[in-house]
Amino acid sequence: METIGFLLDGIFTSLQWFNLALLIFGCLIGLFVGAMPGLGSVNGVAILIPITFIIPPTAAIIFLAAVYYGAMYGGAISSVMLGIPGASTAVATVFDGRPLAVKGEAMTALTAAAVGSFVGGTVSVILFTLFAPPLAEVALRFNAPETFALMVMAFATFVGLGGDDVPKTIFSILIGLALSTIGLDLITGKPRLIFFNIPGFLHGINFLVLAIGIYGIGEMLWTLEETKGKVQMSKLSVNMKEVGRAFGALKKTIMAMNIGSFLGFFVGILPAAGATPASLMSYGITKQLSKNSKEFGSGVPAGVVAPECANNSASTGSMLPMLTLGIPGSPTTAILLGGMILWGLTPGPLLFTQEPEFVWGLIGSLYIANFFTLVLNIALIPAFLMVLRIPFAILAPVIFVLCVTGGYAPTQSLHDVWLMLLFGFAGYILRKLDYPVAPAVLSIVLGPLAEKALRQSLILSDGSMGIFFDMSEKPIAAVIMYIAIVLLIMPAFGPLYRRLFKKKQPA
Amino acid sequence: MSITNKITVKRAEIAVAVILALCSIALMIKSAENRITWNAEENMGAGFLPFYLSLGMLICTILTIIKFVLKRSPQSKDDTPFIDAVAFKFIAVTIISLVVLVLAIGYLGIYFSLIFFLAFYLRYFSEKSVAFITIFAITTPILTFLFFEWMLKIPLPQGISEPLFYPVYDFMYGGFSFAVKMIFIILTVVLPTALVFLTTRFIK
Repeated sequence: METIGFLLDGIFTSLQWFNLALLIFGCLIGLFVGAMPGLGSVNGVAILIPITFIIPPTAAIIFLAAVYYGAMYGGAISSVMLGIPGASTAVATVFDGRPLAVKGEAMTALTAAAVGSFVGGTVSVILFTLFAPPLAEVALRFNAPETFALMVMAFATFVGLGGDDVPKTIFSILIGLALSTIGLDLITGKPRLIFFNIPGFLHGINFLVLAIGIYGIGEMLWTLEETKGKVQMSKLSVNMKEVGRAFGALKKTIMAMNIGSFLGFFVGILPAAGATPASLMSYGITKQLSKNSKEFGSGVPAGVVAPECANNSASTGSMLPMLTLGIPGSPTTAILLGGMILWGLTPGPLLFTQEPEFVWGLIGSLYIANFFTLVLNIALIPAFLMVLRIPFAILAPVIFVLCVTGGYAPTQSLHDVWLMLLFGFAGYILRKLDYPVAPAVLSIVLGPLAEKALRQSLILSDGSMGIFFDMSEKPIAAVIMYIAIVLLIMPAFGPLYRRLFKKKQPA
Repeated sequence: MSITNKITVKRAEIAVAVILALCSIALMIKSAENRITWNAEENMGAGFLPFYLSLGMLICTILTIIKFVLKRSPQSKDDTPFIDAVAFKFIAVTIISLVVLVLAIGYLGIYFSLIFFLAFYLRYFSEKSVAFITIFAITTPILTFLFFEWMLKIPLPQGISEPLFYPVYDFMYGGFSFAVKMIFIILTVVLPTALVFLTTRFIK
């Protein structure tokens, strides 16, 4: 009952005119960045975070969450119309969305995507409201050892479930952590890793410099290479009859909606996963369970609904560990978490008691944002098609301008802009060679928090690492640590498993 | 272009791995400037974490190199060019113009540098007319100025162009009425933005 009261407060908070205006503005920007090929939620949030410093944290998180949300809806637009995903989260939407557009049923695909997103978003935000308070209550009992163990598990999830090359994934995690140690040491006060004695390193490397570098500059270079500035668009006829028929087609997609909503939410909670794997898994499972699985890939609405439902659901799910545990569930929430620190908040369960307006304002705004994005999305489809016609050669320099100003604004030093360019270029090269970049961004955000938790734990235990593995003293920390170890060694058993079981069932 | 053909994925993979290994070693040496030991009596030295993190990085790059030598990674068998010639032109010009932009920001200030950057970039990559590019290259810095300096109150670097902005600041913070400022904003923001939108639609 208490939850309902908080939730109503939160909804009223997000309906205050300033917050509501930012919410609608955020949804629009989100739809826009989602729809542009090459830009997704993570890019939008990374590039826009510097301009949220002047507004109150509650308004800022409502704005950025709306961008996150809108991007999940918007990604479908270019997946369907251009055949290239608007964001990595909408990759699976291309599989059936594009064939539908080629058949001349683009409107069906776009409506299915919007409604799927709405259902996924709504189901997940209800789950979120139910799960968040009890989880925060449990998390309140966590001390430094539990927090550190959770962070180790977050890193281990990348190794165990990320699916990328293991040494390269670990390298990415470690370089993010190493970069986060630059600057003054918290405990001894000594300067660390001040390269060439440049004073700019003394204040450390702001996570935003890496995030904007990788997701702004690096992503633009990547997209310039992929598209070479040119794309091909499908034809679209918009009339009410089409929309009506599209809604009719949705009856057959209820199973896809169920799978997408629930699977998406729980995959979203996992630290490494986020919306991209959630949408791919949802598509795969829906296809497997469907009666007409052979038609998937040739243009069925269920094939659009499944991934779209899941990516929205996962984006909400990934905010659950961010708010309750202070561990981000996706690259975008990693940046949001960094933003919370910059706004002067301490992420974690205490937020629920210390900053209820912030937490519940965010949760309330998700309900409202879902509704507005659905309406805006369907109403503005013609406008987004105009946006998609903007040549990439014009969009790219505008994004670069935003990156340069965004990299400069937080610390007001050109030193950070240079670093941002360097990270952008390095990130682009490394990504081309299959080094995953998301772990580095996650670990530069979590690095200082992890270091603090580790050193506090070691002070508690008089310097013994045993504190993390002691089942009788700290059972929760120990269980989490053992799970992390299992995740870390899992990839090593992958080939063994395949060798053992492949022989028994010849394919 | 023969250079882009010579740089295969295979060569790029091993070159990057070796560079990363060298960087890791440099990081380890740099970390060792602080105490890197840790035991129960003394607390953790300031260099301990960076040192062992970069040692971990070194081990990872060595594993990548071993995988390369044993031909276990997909990149180690890939003889296709790392980047094709057309894309290389896009990337190279973009990176060079960004570096020049940031260099220019330090000297000329951001607003004038942006005009040159946008004019060059659009002229080089887009097929837009000179009229469009001129309007676009001038309005973007104006919007940037109003957004950062007026709305957010964040000063961006102005280099040697700073004196030119004094009259603007006098106007912004001077005793003009709200109405005068609004008319000014309409003239400087709304009109140019509308112009840009119209030109994107009608001027090629």
